[in-house]
Amino acid sequence: MFAALRDVELAIEAGEFVGIVGRSGSGKSTLLNMIGGIDRPSSGIVSIGGKSINELSENRLASWRGRTVGFVFQFFQLLPTLTAAENVSLPMDFSRTFPARERRQRALALLERVGVAQHADKLPSALSGGEQQRVAIARALANEPPIILADEPTGNLDSVTARDVLDLLRTMAAAGTTVVIVTHEADIARVIDRKLEIVDGALSNSAEPAK
Amino acid sequence: MTSIWRKAVRDFWQERARTTLVVLAIALGISAFCAVLSAYAILTRELDRGYLATNPASAILSTDRIDDELISAVLSNPAVSDAEPRRVVTGQIKAGPAQWRNLMLFVVKDYGQIRVSKLERQQGAWPPAAGEILIERDALQVARAKIGDTVEVKTVNGVEQPLFVSGSVHDVGQAQARMENIVYGYITLDTLKQLGEEPYLDRLNILVAENRFDQEHIRSVADQVKKLLESRGHAVRRVDLPQPGKHPHSDLMGLLLLAMSSFGLFVLTLSGILVVNLLTALMASQVRQIGVMKAIGATRNQIARIYFGQALLLGGVAVILALPVGMFGSRILCRYMALFLNFDINSFAVPLWVYLLVAVIGLVGPLLAAAYPVWRGSSISVLAALGDFGVAQERFGVSTLDRALARVGGTLRPLALAIRNSFRRRTRLALTLLTLTAGGLFFMSALNIRASMISTLDRLFATRNFDLSVGLSTMYPLEKVEHAIQNTRGIVRGEGWFTMDGSLANGAETAVNTSAHSEKQSGPHSGGPGTERFNVIALPFDTTLIKFDLLDGRQLAASDTDAIVVNNALAARSPEFRVGRRVSLQIGPQVTSWIVVGIARESFSPPVAYIPRSFLDARHGEMANTLRLRLEKSDPDSISVVKSDLDRNLTHEGIRAVGSVSKTESRFAFDQHMLMIYVFLIIMSAIIALVGGLGLMTTMTLNVLERRREMGVLRAIGAKPYIIWLIVVVEGLVIGILSWAMAAIAAWPISRALGNMMVKVLFTSGLDFTFEPVGLLIWLAVSVVVSIAGSFLPAWRASQLTVREALAYE
Repeated sequence: MFAALRDVELAIEAGEFVGIVGRSGSGKSTLLNMIGGIDRPSSGIVSIGGKSINELSENRLASWRGRTVGFVFQFFQLLPTLTAAENVSLPMDFSRTFPARERRQRALALLERVGVAQHADKLPSALSGGEQQRVAIARALANEPPIILADEPTGNLDSVTARDVLDLLRTMAAAGTTVVIVTHEADIARVIDRKLEIVDGALSNSAEPAK
Repeated sequence: MTSIWRKAVRDFWQERARTTLVVLAIALGISAFCAVLSAYAILTRELDRGYLATNPASAILSTDRIDDELISAVLSNPAVSDAEPRRVVTGQIKAGPAQWRNLMLFVVKDYGQIRVSKLERQQGAWPPAAGEILIERDALQVARAKIGDTVEVKTVNGVEQPLFVSGSVHDVGQAQARMENIVYGYITLDTLKQLGEEPYLDRLNILVAENRFDQEHIRSVADQVKKLLESRGHAVRRVDLPQPGKHPHSDLMGLLLLAMSSFGLFVLTLSGILVVNLLTALMASQVRQIGVMKAIGATRNQIARIYFGQALLLGGVAVILALPVGMFGSRILCRYMALFLNFDINSFAVPLWVYLLVAVIGLVGPLLAAAYPVWRGSSISVLAALGDFGVAQERFGVSTLDRALARVGGTLRPLALAIRNSFRRRTRLALTLLTLTAGGLFFMSALNIRASMISTLDRLFATRNFDLSVGLSTMYPLEKVEHAIQNTRGIVRGEGWFTMDGSLANGAETAVNTSAHSEKQSGPHSGGPGTERFNVIALPFDTTLIKFDLLDGRQLAASDTDAIVVNNALAARSPEFRVGRRVSLQIGPQVTSWIVVGIARESFSPPVAYIPRSFLDARHGEMANTLRLRLEKSDPDSISVVKSDLDRNLTHEGIRAVGSVSKTESRFAFDQHMLMIYVFLIIMSAIIALVGGLGLMTTMTLNVLERRREMGVLRAIGAKPYIIWLIVVVEGLVIGILSWAMAAIAAWPISRALGNMMVKVLFTSGLDFTFEPVGLLIWLAVSVVVSIAGSFLPAWRASQLTVREALAYE
């Protein structure tokens, strides 16, 4: 059996902004998926906030994910039939973290925070790539999760927009949210607290604080 | 509305063309179901209500003269709440220059005092004066008369008399006159006297005081009345006990509507297949979205709820669309059935339970159809969902069938592509084929059943070598009868037969009717269930006018004295009627013993036993009460001329003819009943073909949607738009032709079973199965047209895609 990751032992502190780098196929995304409860390790444990998430059932894991983790994807992955505000409201609908009448207000506030409030009632198809990713970040923040996991969040953006998105994530981390990002960005060191390099499924010894 | 519901609604809106097709298909199924269910509720209520409103007789006793004193005596029995005398006289009515129709004349003493088996006044005079006749509204057409006309009437013992048609009535208890090809007339005792008949009443309609719907109670009260009549010196010829509170055709209608309801449910099931297709495709195209929703916290139940919500939405919209259509359909159906059974519908109000049942089935049906695709689609893991590369990545080429298909198409690559494409989505293909095949099956069954019905009737009528059957008022010497026949031009051969009522000696039914024609002419409905008597026909052993189609045993022979041939309807009634077995029959007042020598096949016929007339000759001398005649010409005009001529000659011999049925007329009555089955099947196949066509269109739309990238590639490498159009249309055509082939294979056994089942409901007799090859060709043409029509729009859309759009599609 092919092991995407092996002998990984990693601890991330609350409020830390961690960047995971490595070549394609090195296991970066698998590591991120493990942290987010999307994938399960064949051996070992993944403990988040003292809870072993790899022991949770799919349904419990989904609920846990909704409240604990905010995901940001490379291709934004907004639901095409929902407006920006509705996309942001969706995690709140699933997790029922806020009363129904407050959800839109909160979605608008989050969109304001990421700078796309004026697009709240537009469908994703009417937004640019950068705007869509901002909406995706707002969606990731919807349930005030302590962790944000971003898989190549700038991979589909131009350099200016990519820089804006990274700055936004930096702001989240500064506000106390743990941010883990998988990226190819060369200037990632500018924003992250710690860089982890994965080589052939193992954490490289060169893993070190970025700043 | 939460975002979850908004997504459900907008996803459908985004795919509105597909959604509309599916909603239409479900609505079609629900409409059909709703129409039949409402019709069932309305008709059963109205038929029985209308019938009960006439205060139908609990029992009818046929006796001799009934006077007021006898009525008073009967009414002194506290178990009898009412009693009323009537008379039914058979005769003929002139419907054309030389055309006579059978007539059933109901004689009522006082039209102002009808309390039992009431008549509904329609138009014109009420009551009829002396010399006037009221005609049942449906029978006016049979008599070719209208109010204000004068018609010629002759009865069993009377003389030909003109009667003035002064009005029309509705007699709920009678079968449709047009279908039975009979005229029902209503006259007074004075008119009966004018017609040359003795003016008396002999039928006692009684109404029981309590337990009106308890057959056993009615039987016991009827028995008391019978004994009372007999104790006062009146002979009781027969006692009829109609099914209490039920219109004579109520059960038949119930069975027909039940068959239609089953069909409605079947169409609904077929439309459910479309829901399966739509939701499977929808979920397949939304795998990534499902992954994302799960990643941001949606549980499997929440995901399932979204798609179940969509199914519910489909059902809800379909129910809203279907209800008015179904109600409209039910009115048409009700009117048709009411016309067929000759009754009026006073209220089309549909009971609440019908609405509820339709709504529940309309909503639950799509949910059930959605269960599997939703269960399957929502179970995908986030990882697998996010790793999905799109819906068109199904693996083609793995199975043996794929490899076989890879050799189909030769060098004509677009054709090869179209054929192979048809088989890529196997489950979807199977479901689409199911609907189209069902349409084909029903259509071919309709044609096969029609052909089989014709062939069965042909076979039945081929055994009857006579063109005309004439009933006499009583028994007459055979010599005189034969003399009249010999003097009539146009008769090739004529025989005098003797028809009686009989019953198994242990069956305790009352009495014998020795008149040639019982009150009801023998037609498709005579001899129905519940009657224990049957006709016994005494005929010459060497008759050439009937040639038994023997299932077992032999014909009657010259040496036979106690031999009997029974038809299959009678044989089916009791295990005693087997070749070689001896049976005791009550024929006339006597119980006699007979040995069964043959069983003859007579489809759609009432139970009949044939005995050698030598049995009768030995007891009563050579007598006859019916004539069977083979004529030189059998067209209606020639028959009419012969009938008139024969009538004169019979009168000359002192013989009264009371009714006649030509072979064409009895065939017409059967054909009318058969037509009903045929039309029903054709309508069914049209509706199913429509659902099938919508199914095919949905399938082709999904197929095109899933293969947009491929089409982009085809366009990029040089395919012109019409090639893309052609590939999609040929793909649809392959599905259509496949469905035709499957229907063609299954048509034989299915239509045989279906035909037998439906015909048995009406006639308690099976069919001689005949396969109609024209059906194959017609359905092939229909399949081709439906396939092209169903794939035309998706194909056109596919051909209009630009390369950029197609390749950019995700």
